[in-house]
Amino acid sequence: MSLLKPFSRLPGLNSANILLVEREEQFQQSLADVLVEETTFTVNVRLAKSLPLPMENEESRPRIDLVVFIINLTSELSLQSAEASLKSLDPGYFLGKVCFMVTNARSAAAPIERLDVARKLAASLYCPLLFAEDQTPDGVTNATERLLTILKVAAGLVPMATSLYLSNLTRSTVPPDIEQPSFN
Amino acid sequence: MADSTKRCLQRIMRLIPSYMLRTTLEKWGRFTVEQQKSIDFTRSKWALTEALLSICEENKFAMKHLTGLEMIYIMDNPNQGMWYVLQLLDPEDDAHSVELMQFKEQFKSHLKELVRHVSIKIKKHTDQAVWIRIAWGDAFSPPNHLKPTYVVHYLQTPSVFVTNLTSKQKPLLSQAMLLSTRHQAIKDANLSGQNLTAIRDLLMKKYQQVFPTKYPSPLAENNQTISNPLIEKEQAEPAANRLHMACKAFGGGALPQLQSAVYKLETKFRDHSNKTMTEREEPFRCVVKFASTNLLESLRHCASSGIASTPVTPLLSCISLKGRNYFVITDNGPGPSSQTHQPQN
Repeated sequence: MSLLKPFSRLPGLNSANILLVEREEQFQQSLADVLVEETTFTVNVRLAKSLPLPMENEESRPRIDLVVFIINLTSELSLQSAEASLKSLDPGYFLGKVCFMVTNARSAAAPIERLDVARKLAASLYCPLLFAEDQTPDGVTNATERLLTILKVAAGLVPMATSLYLSNLTRSTVPPDIEQPSFN
Repeated sequence: MADSTKRCLQRIMRLIPSYMLRTTLEKWGRFTVEQQKSIDFTRSKWALTEALLSICEENKFAMKHLTGLEMIYIMDNPNQGMWYVLQLLDPEDDAHSVELMQFKEQFKSHLKELVRHVSIKIKKHTDQAVWIRIAWGDAFSPPNHLKPTYVVHYLQTPSVFVTNLTSKQKPLLSQAMLLSTRHQAIKDANLSGQNLTAIRDLLMKKYQQVFPTKYPSPLAENNQTISNPLIEKEQAEPAANRLHMACKAFGGGALPQLQSAVYKLETKFRDHSNKTMTEREEPFRCVVKFASTNLLESLRHCASSGIASTPVTPLLSCISLKGRNYFVITDNGPGPSSQTHQPQN
């Protein structure tokens, strides 16, 4: 089984590669359009529906610095697809090079249990969990800025900071009373 | 003006929305220029109805003039109500040479023979369709103009589109159609929808067809649609394959707007964990209905985004292939061990 490995290639000069994995293939396109507008360094965006990635692209694929799983909380299949894709990722990625981005957390169609599952997933893997709003351009811009912050560190473009160090600060934690029923 | 004529005009005014009234009246062309100018189209519908009523009385219009107005409106806005398709079968030798005047005379005379009191109006539309408006009466009562049936037929094609036809009127209309189009049988085509243009386009395949090709992807240098060289899709090839198969099954480009597809299942219950239901001899009858504002578009999107597995199952693709949206599915072969389903009829 082909695992995606974090350090199997040499890094590029002043550039960073980000992989957005989303089952619905909607939000990743709008994120990509804003991500490539970054001027201080080159951002290469690769879009996928799920992992494992096809073998044909193996040679041309550059080193992926950050893998972002986009989960739509209104769809159970979205969460399941992200969980299944995790198995194709080399464990080396989980030292700060993986991030979870969740959309529609406020929607009435998203049950609270699903958010708890996503939170526990992110916490168990020591990864950050970001909440994003995908319907407005402002929401997309905000999500992009947060991703770029993590991406810059993951690609080694920030001196004196590594992704492992950053992950200590950004990783998701599960509040201790998550098993208690919430107030609504 | 007679009471029934007044009621007919009131019904027409209810049908036509205010913003369409001016253009429809101009197309009708029966008002003089001064009369047309004297109508203030910004008033309420009720006031407009009164104004039109007085002008019609002035001009001494009869029912047949008003039905012309109704027909003009319906011909330009056919996408209301529920249209059903009938299919003509077994053409006789001269079926392919039926032309308009002959059809008109034959239809009128045959239908008048079958129903004593009936009012028929036949018009040819710009796209060669023959529109027929029928107001039915019977031996004792005059034609009811408040519930007319509309029939659309393209000469020398086997399809007939009808709306507002009751089951009592159907055999009469069928007989008249058969005799005037020189066919021997007529049956239900199992296609219905609110949008006449859509079901006509579906039946006559007037949407973009995608044919199976040996080399499905276009030449690389012709593919100029790469938006940004920095963005790359990892799974572009499987996505393109899925899109191609979805378009092959349903069509490319804009698809005709169907509202629903109904599958009536008369198959045996199949679930090995539930012995009581599986052991029954009779088939488990149920009806599956797919509904959407644009059903074919949704199904194509399901297939191209991977929600439905590709290649598209023939149960779904035969909606566009055969131009039907009502299917009865029965088991083929003996017993519950048979795995194949065949859409029948």
